[in-house]
Parts: sequence; structure tokens; C-alpha cells
Amino acid sequence: MRDEQFESLRLELLGSGVNPAYVERTILELGEHYADLESAALETGLGADEAARVALASLGNQRAIAAAVLSRPELLTFRTRHPRVAQYLHSAATIGTLPGLPLMFCIEHRPELTRWGAAISVAAALMGGVLAGLNWLIVVPF
Amino acid sequence: MAQTNPPFLTGVPELLVLRMLSGREMYGYEIVKAMRLVTGEAIGFGEGVIYPVLHALEEGGALKARRKSVNGRERVYYAVTTKGKRRLEHLSDEWKRVSSGVNSALNGANGSPEHA
Repeated sequence: MRDEQFESLRLELLGSGVNPAYVERTILELGEHYADLESAALETGLGADEAARVALASLGNQRAIAAAVLSRPELLTFRTRHPRVAQYLHSAATIGTLPGLPLMFCIEHRPELTRWGAAISVAAALMGGVLAGLNWLIVVPF
Repeated sequence: MAQTNPPFLTGVPELLVLRMLSGREMYGYEIVKAMRLVTGEAIGFGEGVIYPVLHALEEGGALKARRKSVNGRERVYYAVTTKGKRRLEHLSDEWKRVSSGVNSALNGANGSPEHA
């Protein structure tokens, strides 16, 4: 029930680029806080519905909570805080890996490449042998 | 030389949270209750906004958090670090300086504005 109550807040925070670890912590803590407020309201003699209403009101509007989280840049992901830098780093990393791609391909397909290399070597040796034989037949006078 | 004082506008929640936690570790609900008690409920706010303040202080190294299961409930307790104690000192000094200036203005120590 409590998780469902804060699901829209969770989605809003995640969609706005808040660090997922802090989003989960916030939802957990809000849920516990809500339970404490509800218990305190019930202890004062309020009915269940009224206690739930009071607890939600004390916790505050979810839009205000979201705004408070989003006003703290340190809680946002690096990509959200520095989109240009993140994009540059991403591009640089992509370009940086390009020269390594053939090597990574070779490492990944080592068995196939070994078989292919062996087959080429055998074929080259056979062809070399045939050509050398033909050359010998042409050059050597009978 | 005149000093700029951004904490005057933005540092009050941090100052109060660090002050509440300077005695012992607490979780969010406890901090809010303590805050209401010591301020005589002079500061009203939606209690949920305490968490971004706590998380920002933790991210800045002023607080450390630890999870603890208490009676089947998962609590996140916060405690002040050495860096947090220094920050509390700084914010307290800043607040005293600013509030003293505001009090002087309200009490007309330098003459009332109408006669300036």
C-alpha cells in the first residue's frame, strides 16, 4: 500500500535523473515516516481514514517533496548534472574503443580464427608445393 | 568588507538538522519531532522534505547513514561526521552573525530607516 502511494513520486524522481540509490532510499524513508505519522494519529484516537489523511498531510505534498529533491544537484546523476560532459565522455569512450574492436573480435573468435588460420596455412603450403613442383617441371630440363 | 551569506537563505534546514544530530544519531521522523520540539513549532514544513536535506548532507560528507532493523521496521539512522561538526560550527557562526544584524535593524540600533 505504502509503496503504491509513492510510486508516482518514485517514477518522477527517476525520470528527472535523480540517483536511483537516493530515489529508493527516499521512498523507503517516506514509507516509514508515513507509518510513524499514521501510528501517532491513531494513538490520538482518530479513525483509520482520518489518521491516514492526517499522516499524508503532515508528510507534505509529493510535488513539493519532488521539487525539494530536484533542487539538490548533488542528488542527481552525473549525466543529468553535466549532460555535455557526459556526452563528450561517452563519445570519447566510443571512439577510443574503435581501434580495439578488431583485437576484441580476434580474442572473442579465437577458436574460429585459429582454424581459419590453420586452413589458410595448409592451403598456402599446398599451393606453394604445387607451384614449386610446376616451376621445377618447367625449369629443370629433361 | 561585507560578506555574502548564502546560508542565510539556504542553510537553515542544514543548520537545524546538524544541530539535532549533534547529540545522537536519529532517523528522519525522530529528527522532525526533535526539531518541532526545540523550535516550539515555529518552523512549519511538509515533513517529507527532510529527506533531500539529509541525503544532500550525506552526499557532502557531513552525515553518515546506516540501516538498522528495529521491531521489523527498516530505519535509516543518521550521525554527524567530523566534517559535519565543522559545518555545524560554520553555519552556527554564520547564522549568529546574520541574525545579530537583522536584530540590530529591527531594534533600530543604527537609527530608524525613516530618519536615515
